[in-house]
Amino acid sequence: MALKILLVDDSKASRLGLRNWLSKEDGVEIFEAGDGLEGVERFKEHQPDITFLDLTMPVMDGFTALEEMRKVDPAAIVVVLTADVQKKTTQRVEELGAFMVLKKPPVKENIIDAFYKGLKARGKER
Amino acid sequence: MTDNRDVVFNELEIDTLHEMMNISFGRAARDLSEVIDIYVVLSIPSMEVINASELPQFIQENIQEITSGGTIICQSFLGDYNGICLVVFPSDDEHKLLRLFQDQDDSFMEMMDDPDSEVFLEIGNILIGTCVSKMAELIGETVIYQPPAVIHSNLISTSLYSSIFDISNLALTLNTTFKFKELDLHCYLFLITSCATVPFLKKAIVDYLKQFE
Repeated sequence: MALKILLVDDSKASRLGLRNWLSKEDGVEIFEAGDGLEGVERFKEHQPDITFLDLTMPVMDGFTALEEMRKVDPAAIVVVLTADVQKKTTQRVEELGAFMVLKKPPVKENIIDAFYKGLKARGKER
Repeated sequence: MTDNRDVVFNELEIDTLHEMMNISFGRAARDLSEVIDIYVVLSIPSMEVINASELPQFIQENIQEITSGGTIICQSFLGDYNGICLVVFPSDDEHKLLRLFQDQDDSFMEMMDDPDSEVFLEIGNILIGTCVSKMAELIGETVIYQPPAVIHSNLISTSLYSSIFDISNLALTLNTTFKFKELDLHCYLFLITSCATVPFLKKAIVDYLKQFE
């Protein structure tokens, strides 16, 4: 069964980049959303193994989206990828249950590392 | 006022530039939050390409709550990536900001000759310095800063930037709002460059996207 990855970011460039990197991994199926609300809808629809989530987005921000996703699945693996690198932001998303917080611009090694750590935590280690 | 954004940049370039702005503004928020213990809520930035002669009107329209008051920190920067950066404090927020610094450190206030101006200069300097430096870094350029100045909001005019770029040409504005969460405070930042910087931005966008290959 394919591993499902959800990319939630209002930046198409950012989604394009992550898609390009992650699609090179074997057996992955990637879904995308352009804002937090759409992200929560896609999350409910596809129940992804790992989600990469931006914070500063229109319609619904990433903080709220993270809360909603964790309500749907308290064990959800959500990696926050953000340009907001304040300590309080990191603390806040960790309290909300983020699996990991990565800063933008994204670094390929960090994204792939987060992917594998997320899979391990999900019990789908390869 | 005509927005020529779509004439100058394509959709992916605009999107990537937004992302670069997000990164720059995010670093500025972090630096400010480390100097004064506050949490800065970032807003989604926007970008417009308009006639440089219309910039004063554009700024006024985007900071509507300023009537007779308001303070602006203005700093220009030179180099291949050159322009002017403004941080606008609405009038109602001025005293809240001063109180914020007083709460932090009484000795800081006592050291200053003109606390009002120096508090604004300090905050403006942090936001402008970090934003411009990060943008310049992403573009692969270095800039030379001119000294910042405090000006009154009713002094916004083309004379602020006419020595840096031609006011008969187009100008690129990157702007956002910084909200200081617990304090019901906010300020606006306008990063304005001439369209002569567009080739540098386009190259930076290509370089930014290359990392994803």
